[in-house]
Amino acid sequence: MKNKRSLFAVPYVIWMALFVVIPIIIMLVYSLTVTVDTAQGEVLQGSLSNFTGMTLYASVFGRSFWLALVATLICLALGYPAAYLMSREGEGFKRVAMALIMLPMWMNFLLRTYSWMAILENNGLLNQLLRKLGIIALYNRLTGSDIEYFQMIRTPGAVVLGMVYNYLPFMILPIYTVLTKLDPKLIEAAQDLGANSATVFRRVTLPLSVSGIVSGVTMVFVPSVSTFAISRLLGGGTQMMLGDLIENQFLGGAYNPHLGAAISMVMMVIVVICMLVMNHFGDGEGEAVML
Amino acid sequence: MKKNGVGGRSLIGLCLLFLYLPIFLLIFFSFNAGDSSAVWKGFSLHWYAELFRNRLVIEGLATTLLVSLLATAISTVAGTFAAIGIYNLTKKWRDPILVVNDLPMMNADIVTGVSLCLFFVAFFHGWGSIAAWLNSWQSLIRFPTRLTLGLGTLLIAHVSFNIPYVILNVSPRLRQMDRNLVEAAQDLGCTWFQAFYKVILPEIKPGIVSGALIAFTMSVDDFVISYFTAGSSTQTLSMVIYGMTKKRVTPVVNAVSTLMFLAVLVVLVINNIRSARQAQLAAKRASFEPVPESPRVQRIKEWAATPKGRLTRRIVAGVLCAAFVTVTVFLTAFTTSRPVVNVCSWGEYIDEDLIDEFEEQTGIRVNYQTAESNEALYSLLSNGGADYDVVVPSDYMISQLIEEGMLEELDYSQIPNFEKISDRFKNLPYDPENKYTVPYTWGTVGIIYNESLVDEEIHSWSALYDDKYAGQVLLINNSRDAFGIALKYLGYSMNTTDEGEIRQAYELVRDAYERGIFQGKVMDEVFQTMEGGNASFATYYAGDYLSMLENNEDLRFVVPDEGSNWFVDAMCVLKDAPNYENALKWINFIASTDSNLRNMDYIWYASPNEEALELYPQWYEEQYGEELDPEIYSIMAAPQEVLDRCEMYVCLPKATRALYNELWIRLGI
Repeated sequence: MKNKRSLFAVPYVIWMALFVVIPIIIMLVYSLTVTVDTAQGEVLQGSLSNFTGMTLYASVFGRSFWLALVATLICLALGYPAAYLMSREGEGFKRVAMALIMLPMWMNFLLRTYSWMAILENNGLLNQLLRKLGIIALYNRLTGSDIEYFQMIRTPGAVVLGMVYNYLPFMILPIYTVLTKLDPKLIEAAQDLGANSATVFRRVTLPLSVSGIVSGVTMVFVPSVSTFAISRLLGGGTQMMLGDLIENQFLGGAYNPHLGAAISMVMMVIVVICMLVMNHFGDGEGEAVML
Repeated sequence: MKKNGVGGRSLIGLCLLFLYLPIFLLIFFSFNAGDSSAVWKGFSLHWYAELFRNRLVIEGLATTLLVSLLATAISTVAGTFAAIGIYNLTKKWRDPILVVNDLPMMNADIVTGVSLCLFFVAFFHGWGSIAAWLNSWQSLIRFPTRLTLGLGTLLIAHVSFNIPYVILNVSPRLRQMDRNLVEAAQDLGCTWFQAFYKVILPEIKPGIVSGALIAFTMSVDDFVISYFTAGSSTQTLSMVIYGMTKKRVTPVVNAVSTLMFLAVLVVLVINNIRSARQAQLAAKRASFEPVPESPRVQRIKEWAATPKGRLTRRIVAGVLCAAFVTVTVFLTAFTTSRPVVNVCSWGEYIDEDLIDEFEEQTGIRVNYQTAESNEALYSLLSNGGADYDVVVPSDYMISQLIEEGMLEELDYSQIPNFEKISDRFKNLPYDPENKYTVPYTWGTVGIIYNESLVDEEIHSWSALYDDKYAGQVLLINNSRDAFGIALKYLGYSMNTTDEGEIRQAYELVRDAYERGIFQGKVMDEVFQTMEGGNASFATYYAGDYLSMLENNEDLRFVVPDEGSNWFVDAMCVLKDAPNYENALKWINFIASTDSNLRNMDYIWYASPNEEALELYPQWYEEQYGEELDPEIYSIMAAPQEVLDRCEMYVCLPKATRALYNELWIRLGI
């Protein structure tokens, strides 16, 4: 009787197979083939050259994973304390703070990133401010240099800033959710048993919030490593990331979907491995907890 | 528990400040009288009025809302039922399904987007023969044989990445529910659906609501997946904005975002007040004090239980549903209606009033899109997902498209205005018998420099590779121009196929790149960077220089002594274009003298229409009551002695193109 309801899952399973699993298989097929010119026109041919040729892009892989890692760590360093402090506030404060953190997602992320461009340009708002405050003149006097602005845009730092800015809420929300669900009695018990607040944090709060950290890190790292809009806008084409490389193969100047598919596959596998390792540290309850 | 002190709260405050600083700037500049997002020119509501006239933005907004609403509705219903199904499965089946469910969330957006794009394109390739076969043995339904990426694929993609979020939010609620409740309801005589409606639904409602909310937020905010699956004729607001961030973002977008932001803010505030009230109520109940409901609430409840009240409730629900359906239908009608012509051109490359005028005259809706470069256009076309009718590639790309059989011959009898095109621009090498093209504009490539930042007069490309200007040069972001200029500087032909010469050009650029000469690689971003005085040098097109000059008088343009590239961009119709007749009408309209004059005035690119080119100085005087600076005219329409030292690109052989691609990618990494 009860199990007849499991039939409800059938349309969904078909849908997911069709639009999630098969596309990935097709991508795999693309990555293992190349188009070859023959007398009959262009034909597909099996080949591993997409993968073997990828060593050329090692530096792009390196840069992407490095910048994403830095951004994730900064997000964690900022997001954990913020989430922790928020979870200790009263109900009203919590509600307002949560709403305020969700709200920016309703402003298009490209527009928010574009806004940073206006701030970081050589002649942008921040440099203008620094000039007015005399900080640039001071810097020149101290170091004996002669600069008119700090180069901020089109540097790796700008890209990291863009990532942190865009994905910080994804770090705060899951950690906050886990922390608010944490039973206060556990902390009281630890205190009653003589632990000071540092020990309580280290032995109780932190271990119990690992699942939030894991899903926060996932939700920041994955979009960071694959971004192309942020590196494009704030990196000015000088900080090529995996996302740019892939986009370039599909919709950009260097048209080669086979190579693009191969790079996507490799990136996907590396990311999945990273996530599996991460989830190993979590308690298996690896749900993306939001709200 | 201990509350936070001032220090803790100020840390939260700092985090919020960081998140909101750019947003305040955006909102602030939506009230700017000028069109910059960095220079304040006084308060004005101008951009809010302009908002309703800007088609790209309004259509983008309509598409975004339509897709998000539909995708949220579908995925909420589908996801809820799927969650119930999964809940009832045995563990053996449930676990692998949940792994697949996690995939779209674990995967990077770009991987999801790319794999769906490949899937759709592969499917469309196969579909042609399936449809033909289906049509051959039955005549009940005519299946279209040609499918393209568009609203449908966009919707499928959004539903696919939304469902997992709904399931993730509903499943925990189901697990918390007491299984016996459903059985009890059924024992008492409910059918399963009654039990579902009266028992399960109220239990899991919070999960459904938060799932739907997340799905909607994700849909509205999504850019990457839409970018790969929407194809060419459909654009969400994000895609419109992405197109704009490359050039100048019009503050209209700031205005739209401000309005959306305020709408969400209001919803959140109301929601907050409501949940605060509920929490208060719950707290009172918990303290066992009987809380009398206010008489007003009681009266409403009593009334709602009467037959009349029930009827009213149903009517209200019906009206709301009808409103939702109407809005959806209206949005659909708005986004897909009337005969169309799909045009793909370059950014800021037309006087948009011309589009409106053409639509009024012919009743044909113009779907006007832009590509970033010839190479990007080629990618779009090869992908098979684009359904353009008219494209406006440059000379060398035209011959490549002809060579690969991607263009349709034009029926010149339907383009009487072709006669007005100067003979100089007919039968050019890219289309020797002039069977495929009607020229749109022509011009030269040169150095744009900022006089106030450079204290010498520039005559040579050497400035682009000079240590003196380290960090001040913007490299043009396409391989053909970047290497072509280097070749010219080295004294070679821009069309050389000699591998040694090309590698030498590459080394020159690479070396400069490593010495930190280049500030960045730009295409249309050049406008804001040069106008804002953020770089000293750029290489770009003469017409675009004149646009920049309007915003920054310090800029100068020169075609260097070593020579440069001169180009013709021409309108062509793609093979099997779905709207061939409309395409010809559009081409004829654009080729007219009046259109050419207005276009020239708007985009500052020289016209190939002989009459328009000659008339322009006089026309300018009539329009603006002042004489056209002859220097400006000679930059726009380069005189013969300048053209004599310029070369037109020809289509390179495939091997050379592959070399260009490879070297170009090497340069970037």
